[in-house]
Amino acid sequence: MAEEPQPSNITAGAEDTPSLPSNAEDRKAAAALSALDTRGADDDAGENRKNVDSEALGQAMKNLDLGKEGKKDEEVKKVVKVDAGDVKLLVEQLELSKVKATELLKAHDGHAVRAMVAFVQASA
Amino acid sequence: MPQALSSKENSLFRQVVKSYETKQYKKGIKAADQVLRKSPNHGDTQAMKALIMNSQGHSDEAFALAKVALRNDMKSQICWHVYGILYRSQKNYDEAMRAYRTALRLDGDSQQIQRDLAMLQIQTRDYEGYIESRLTMLKAKPNTRQNWTALAVAHHLAGDLTKAEDVLVRYENSLNNPPPRTDLEHTEAALYKNTIIAEAGDYQRALDHIETLLKHPLDRTAVMEMRAQYLLKLGKNEDAEKAYRALIERNNAFRDYYDGLENALGLDRLKEESINRLAELYESLAKKDERVDAPRRIPLDFLQGCSFRSAADSYLKPRLNKGIPSLFANVKALYKDTSKLQTIEELVNSYLEKSAMNGSAEGETKAGKSDKFEESVLYFLAQHYNYFLSRDLEKATSFIDRALEKNPKSVDFNMTKARIFKNYGDTEKAAAAMNHARELDEKDRYINTKCAKYQLRNNQNDAALETMSKFTRNETTGGALGDLKEMQCLWYFIEDGEAFVRNEKYNLALKRFQTIYDIFDIWQEDQFDFHNFSLKKGQIRAYVNLIRWEDYLRGHPFFSRAAVSAIKIYILLHDRPHLASLVNGGADFENLDENEKKKALKKAKKEQEKQEKAEAEKQATNKKTTADGEVKKEDLDPKGLKLLQTKEPLEDATKWVNFVLQFSPKMIEAQNVGFEVYIRKGKYLLATRCLLAASKLDPENPSLHEQTIRLQHTLNTLSEPLAPKVSEVLKETFKLVPAD
Amino acid sequence: MDVRMMKPSDIPHVQLANITNLPENYFLKYYLYHAMSWPQLSYVAVDVSRPPKSPYDPPKIVGYVLAKMEEDPADGVPHGHITSLSVMRTHRRLGLAEKLMRLSQRAMAESYTSSYVSLHVRVSNTAALHLYRDTLGFKVERIEPKYYADGEDAYAMKADLSELRVLSQESEDEGEGVGSAGK
Repeated sequence: MAEEPQPSNITAGAEDTPSLPSNAEDRKAAAALSALDTRGADDDAGENRKNVDSEALGQAMKNLDLGKEGKKDEEVKKVVKVDAGDVKLLVEQLELSKVKATELLKAHDGHAVRAMVAFVQASA
Repeated sequence: MPQALSSKENSLFRQVVKSYETKQYKKGIKAADQVLRKSPNHGDTQAMKALIMNSQGHSDEAFALAKVALRNDMKSQICWHVYGILYRSQKNYDEAMRAYRTALRLDGDSQQIQRDLAMLQIQTRDYEGYIESRLTMLKAKPNTRQNWTALAVAHHLAGDLTKAEDVLVRYENSLNNPPPRTDLEHTEAALYKNTIIAEAGDYQRALDHIETLLKHPLDRTAVMEMRAQYLLKLGKNEDAEKAYRALIERNNAFRDYYDGLENALGLDRLKEESINRLAELYESLAKKDERVDAPRRIPLDFLQGCSFRSAADSYLKPRLNKGIPSLFANVKALYKDTSKLQTIEELVNSYLEKSAMNGSAEGETKAGKSDKFEESVLYFLAQHYNYFLSRDLEKATSFIDRALEKNPKSVDFNMTKARIFKNYGDTEKAAAAMNHARELDEKDRYINTKCAKYQLRNNQNDAALETMSKFTRNETTGGALGDLKEMQCLWYFIEDGEAFVRNEKYNLALKRFQTIYDIFDIWQEDQFDFHNFSLKKGQIRAYVNLIRWEDYLRGHPFFSRAAVSAIKIYILLHDRPHLASLVNGGADFENLDENEKKKALKKAKKEQEKQEKAEAEKQATNKKTTADGEVKKEDLDPKGLKLLQTKEPLEDATKWVNFVLQFSPKMIEAQNVGFEVYIRKGKYLLATRCLLAASKLDPENPSLHEQTIRLQHTLNTLSEPLAPKVSEVLKETFKLVPAD
Repeated sequence: MDVRMMKPSDIPHVQLANITNLPENYFLKYYLYHAMSWPQLSYVAVDVSRPPKSPYDPPKIVGYVLAKMEEDPADGVPHGHITSLSVMRTHRRLGLAEKLMRLSQRAMAESYTSSYVSLHVRVSNTAALHLYRDTLGFKVERIEPKYYADGEDAYAMKADLSELRVLSQESEDEGEGVGSAGK
């Protein structure tokens, strides 16, 4: 009932020309061409110098990635021995990637038959 | 280390970069060549040239040149960055990320490369990597709110709600003053934080938080909805009731609000004691607005017996008077209750008798002409008797013919006539009738679409395309079909493909299904730019919804339909390879004797070589390049012959199987065809998996039974024994249904 | 029919409704652009009375409005714009188009302080004209000749939203959401 034609600069999929590091002038030119300003200018925009308390920000930054390390401690990564032959078997029989096959085996303590049984019986 | 250039060459190099970014490809190549004349081994220039060549469509040459560039300058960040970009354009994301990482190791300062890497990580859902990248980016620029939000989103999508919230709070606390209420980024970030709190199940905290946002909500609807939900979850029913009533006042056409109100009032449709109160509730809501449908339609769901009858009567009559075309569609869901079906049947039939007698409807009519009422009743009854639960096609036909007598130009009536033919199984008459309907309103695309669909159901592929072409941009490359592909018109490709399957034109069918596959690939790509864009726009909740939808993208029914059909063709091609050569007339092949078979194959091969040669010549003369040296992507396999002639049909099927089993596992046909592929590939564990899944969905499924026996037989007659571990797994998982 | 805000998961089905009903069509990405920029403005009408057929039934979109805020307003004043509005012909006479428009317009006023809303409509589309001009109070600003790809002219229409903005201001000053009584 109301209709607009689609603008001609819209393309499907991802924007084709990711830019390279260059000076601000080049970036502006690139930015102007894209309907979806995917690159360039955002480094300058969004800076909130006035309102942000630099000290508070420093505080905010402290231990920001501790969680990651903390997590590592929690997990206590078990050293599960996984047999290369078993990985190969799972890759072949279950058509999994090497990474996924290894993960699956580890989740079942390296026990190939149990891992495969679990996979075959998994619910939708 | 990037090699040094003279100042003249430096400025030429800048020109190359600028030309690339402004898409002036020929200019860029020219400038690059100038540099290379003086410094033939300048890796960076070669890399940039490769990048431009890739944008022009010369991807093979681009890669080759990029490799040369790298050999010349292994430590150049630009070279690695370009290499990554090339891989990315080939959708080889793993290699792209590897290249970006190498580039970053060489010079960790490039924010552009870091961001490119981050985008790829989230695109491929490498959450750990994405978190790492965003953390780095945040440390580099902690002043930018977006970087905080992005890190929060990374944790959120990775499933760590606590950390996500923590990141948002840290930034909030660092602000001197809360931003003005018109700051969209800020209010959206607050709402986003709220959704995280709620997702963690902490509804009380979510409620407390959202009450602070009530004063100045930019997204008022969201705030009201979320608040109402929390109140309900916390059992604060009085407040929930008020909240839902307020929502209904804002929008009285959304069932969720009514459901919420019912819950808040403790009403249960399945409990008899609630029914009266429910009826009263909806009566009072209906009074507020004469025209609103929901409070009048909803009671039909829970009322029974006499009250149902009277409510149905009040509902149907005025709408029949008004001539609302969707009336039947709106009530047919009630038919799963047979008594309601019968009640409605009786009621509407009685209107017909009365109308014939009195010449007008009983009760109030707003200047309703008796004819219009009668037409509507006839139309309703035609649809009623056409519907599978109440089917009586003779009656349906008689009613629609009477309606058509009164109003032969009605598109709606003619459409129903076509539908009745369809249910008779007469696809030809159905298509003709739908075409007749189309001719009554040639400016309307809806009926044009319906007509094309019915033509396809009648296997009239050419006629259907002709019909569609009345609304497509036919000057597009590939004509109407090309336009439909460009505009991602999935329904057409599915129906066209299925029609080709019925006609055993498997090459064309595969071509159509491949088009669907490609469109879904594009849809997956579409999210890419938004990883950056949404952070700038600040609409974070919408972005998270986007990511979650994309995670289940191929659960779309059109995809699974295409998958099942394509897989079936590939199975056929595996079982009967001659079908690949005999594009037409493969059906009789089996009945020929050995010599005739050989002759037929030879003849087909000759035909095909002839066609291929003609195609190749056509391609050579038509090879289009644009003014800027871009190669126009030609379709190298317009008739799907290459798809058909695959040497690895089961491998080709596997890409479909993987998706359909991952995203539509509850579709039993998917499990069925998955089994067929796996048993042929000798993957007995995966075949068993399909059987188990199918039996959970429907133990009576006929294919399931037959497949179980076939698998047993296969396992019993193996030429080589299975690996012992595999046998063990089978022993435990594959148990025959002890029926026989 | 349910009338509610459009979600990303609705989009393929909105696209289907659009290409079924109208000659002006869009890439999925263009819908995403609307949904990611101004998610509050687009609404869908969903047929919820359908009996379920499979575990993966998509939402049956019988109507939609795809709306945006004008990116570069000529006069610098933020205003909304209707990119596309359509209701299936099988679901006419239910007031869906009006409902979709009103909900979208309110969101334009509330979420983006829009002063007015604009749209284009084919000059031959009398039903639409009636909706906009007579029911929703739009005025014709001008005619844009050969606006559409098939050569048809368009009316450029405009409706004032300042009243909606006032309403939303008032309820904000009261400190409560509209209509919610007593906290």
